Amino acid sequence: MKYLLLIFKNVGRNLLRSLLTALGTMVLVLVVTLVWSILSLIDKATEEKSKDFKAIVTERWSMPSRMPFKYERALAEGAARENHPEDTRPTDSMAWRFFVGTLDNENRSFRNTMFGLACNPDKLLTMMDGLENMPQNQEDEMRGAVARLKSKRDGIIVGRDHLKNLNAIIGNAGDSTLQNPIGRRFKLTGIASFTGLDFEFEIVGIFPPGRYDNFTAFNQGYYLDTIDAYPQSHGKRPHVLADRNLSLFWLKVPNKDAYNRIVDQITSSPEFKDPEVKIETASSGVGSFMEAYRDLLKGMRWLLAPACIITLALVLANAISISVRERRTELAVMKVLGFRPGQIVLLVLGESVFLGLLAGLASAGATYAVINWWLGGVKFPIAFFDSFFIPVNAIGWGAAVGAGAALAGSLVPAWFASRVKPAEVFAKVG
Amino acid sequence: MLWILLEISAGILLLLLLVNRVPLSYTLRNLSVRWLTTLLTVLAFVLVISLMVVMLAFTTGMKRMTEDTGEPANVMVLSEGADDEAFSNVDVGDAAKMESLPQVLRDTTGKRAVASRETYLIVNQPALHPKPGRPKGRFLQVRGIVDAGMAARVHNIELLGDGKWFSQAGTQEHPDGSSKAASLIQVVLGEGVARELAADRSPEEAASATNKGRLDIGDPFLLGRRTCIVTGIMKSSGSTYNSEIWGKQDVVAPLFGKSAITTLVLRTADAQAAAQLRDYFKEKYKEGSVVARVEKEYYASLSETSKQFLYAIIFVTVVMAVGGVFGVMNTMFAAISNRIKDIGILRILGYSRWQILVSFLLESLVIALLGGLLGCAIGSLANGTTANSVLGGGAGGKFVVLSLVVDANIWAAGMFLALLMGAIGGLLPAISAIRLKPLDALR
Repeated sequence: MKYLLLIFKNVGRNLLRSLLTALGTMVLVLVVTLVWSILSLIDKATEEKSKDFKAIVTERWSMPSRMPFKYERALAEGAARENHPEDTRPTDSMAWRFFVGTLDNENRSFRNTMFGLACNPDKLLTMMDGLENMPQNQEDEMRGAVARLKSKRDGIIVGRDHLKNLNAIIGNAGDSTLQNPIGRRFKLTGIASFTGLDFEFEIVGIFPPGRYDNFTAFNQGYYLDTIDAYPQSHGKRPHVLADRNLSLFWLKVPNKDAYNRIVDQITSSPEFKDPEVKIETASSGVGSFMEAYRDLLKGMRWLLAPACIITLALVLANAISISVRERRTELAVMKVLGFRPGQIVLLVLGESVFLGLLAGLASAGATYAVINWWLGGVKFPIAFFDSFFIPVNAIGWGAAVGAGAALAGSLVPAWFASRVKPAEVFAKVG
Repeated sequence: MLWILLEISAGILLLLLLVNRVPLSYTLRNLSVRWLTTLLTVLAFVLVISLMVVMLAFTTGMKRMTEDTGEPANVMVLSEGADDEAFSNVDVGDAAKMESLPQVLRDTTGKRAVASRETYLIVNQPALHPKPGRPKGRFLQVRGIVDAGMAARVHNIELLGDGKWFSQAGTQEHPDGSSKAASLIQVVLGEGVARELAADRSPEEAASATNKGRLDIGDPFLLGRRTCIVTGIMKSSGSTYNSEIWGKQDVVAPLFGKSAITTLVLRTADAQAAAQLRDYFKEKYKEGSVVARVEKEYYASLSETSKQFLYAIIFVTVVMAVGGVFGVMNTMFAAISNRIKDIGILRILGYSRWQILVSFLLESLVIALLGGLLGCAIGSLANGTTANSVLGGGAGGKFVVLSLVVDANIWAAGMFLALLMGAIGGLLPAISAIRLKPLDALR
């Protein structure tokens, strides 16, 4: 206990130096926490699950994937044959039809572009990642939104970023729309392959904050009806997406065996040959798309985060070595009083680790609170990901990084401290 | 702006050296006496600056790629509403009408428009022999070209060495001569994608390859289920074409269920004529639903991603620099506390407060200068290395292999940041030094 008190006292002895070192530690731990949070979310999304996982069916070769409308029915059954009860069927499924439109066709910009998903509303509650285990209030809100979407053909559920843009672009930024957007109507004009498909929507709900901030979902019936109506106003020419409008198809399977059987059923089925389809686990699908960013992610994982930790270790090593040098006389006195070299090493390491641990914990804790509670996530749009939140275990990483870097940085100064020879020190004193 | 700031910083440094009355050798000797502290502080600078240089080299590479792609006299036509070639469908009939516009340049015979019809595709290709640490698949960018000679002229693309453009048929017989074997698809490759594909070769293929670094003329590779044979490598370094595979449009496009043209590139007399043609399409052209952009502008618009990365880099660099500043402050406060008696003696010898401030500030700036120079030099080793990324904002985007570029601007940014860190980190301790009274300091 006395030993611990000595460590605390020593940390408090040169407050300015301890403060500067702690501040240096905090800012560098902040970078490491942010980088690791981003990597952790991506790793989690690409991690294979062993049960209740999702498989994704897309066009085999081309991107963007556009499968024929007729594939949907067979895919929902996992390509299980009729009157073949031995064939494996998915426990749930969901069809995704993408749509991209603009709020202002005359002055199109990234900001007024809206990405939408035409789907079966019921599936939003059972098949969407991150919407399964929401807090109760958000779940109630989402259930209400889905119920309204089911009853309203032209309803739409919007993400929070889109809602802000809607306010700024077509509404009055000063009104209370953001607080009470339900019932508000807006027009969306299809762009790119979706040109000619124009919709008028009524907002029926808002996605919970986070992953779906830049997302919208609406009834696929409304979408398909609009495609069907296209020829009437375009010289009876069908829309380019008239037949091939199924972007991707999700299947929920109970385990790896069921997944493997469904893979066999789909790949051997003659129904999916023109165009061919491929089926992979959701994590593998996300992973293959993330390959395009692999060098960037590698740089973050193996260059940026280690460089921050090494810089941190250097800053701490510097502070501790200065401290050791200034306290040579005191260390010599301690030796004369009977402190063993090992105890002196522990004392120096203890001071450093205590400071690093405390600063790391404070930094990661503050980062967690500011980003998750105050900022509502950190924006870093990459592939399917838009906002990142700090996981709660990041607080542990922060403390570990601070303490670990402090330990690494103070090993050499601590060793020097233990080698102080009282005779040499006192020969110079006075 | 950056250069002006660096010049101002250098000017201040020079001014400090000129007005400094405390011998510089005293300052430098202090640094060498406290060599361990100096070394640790310099190393912290080196890490921060070198990391910043590498990160900026990435965004500069991206920016350079978008700037270097496209011809100022070319107008790129996509279907209305398409921001990206991958989402465009241009009607063939409309293409013919647009090629016949008087603003479009004609070839020497005067009969043919200098224009290229193309189909841009993204193919999800699994790697047959994935190696540890290498991707299991990749998105290949394939450009189906209707007329190779014309496309080469429109895009100003030449082939390396003995390369040849694909034939009119776009295919050649399989070497085993078997009538059952599908013919080989002739393609030309960008240098970047040729290197990436070479890295996925089987050990046997790699051992027998004439060019170990990249696929070369005569080398086969799989595209979808069909085997392609390389007939040429494009001199496309630095542009997005560097990451593309070009083949005959009516051969490669149907392989992936696409027959329509996605892109029509029209050559005009010069940049001004290109801008006029773009405006003509926007304001007067009523024959079809298309959107036209000067090719340079289209590729410049893809720099959205590099901006996003640049903001992230600025944030990370600033935060790391703040950490570095605290490190310098520690060093300088320690330097001052070690030399309190020196300060007292200097004051008694007649050196004024500001001369002592200059001396300590110079000490900090010398550390920063050393760290900055070394950091920039080490970061510059990344120059020319390649990295995979995605270009473009919003829907779509291009999967590219880009070269990291360390240019003079990055050196200027690195040196400016180092000097700024040194100045901020040294100023507070230097001010604390000049507040000491001579007699108190000597006590």
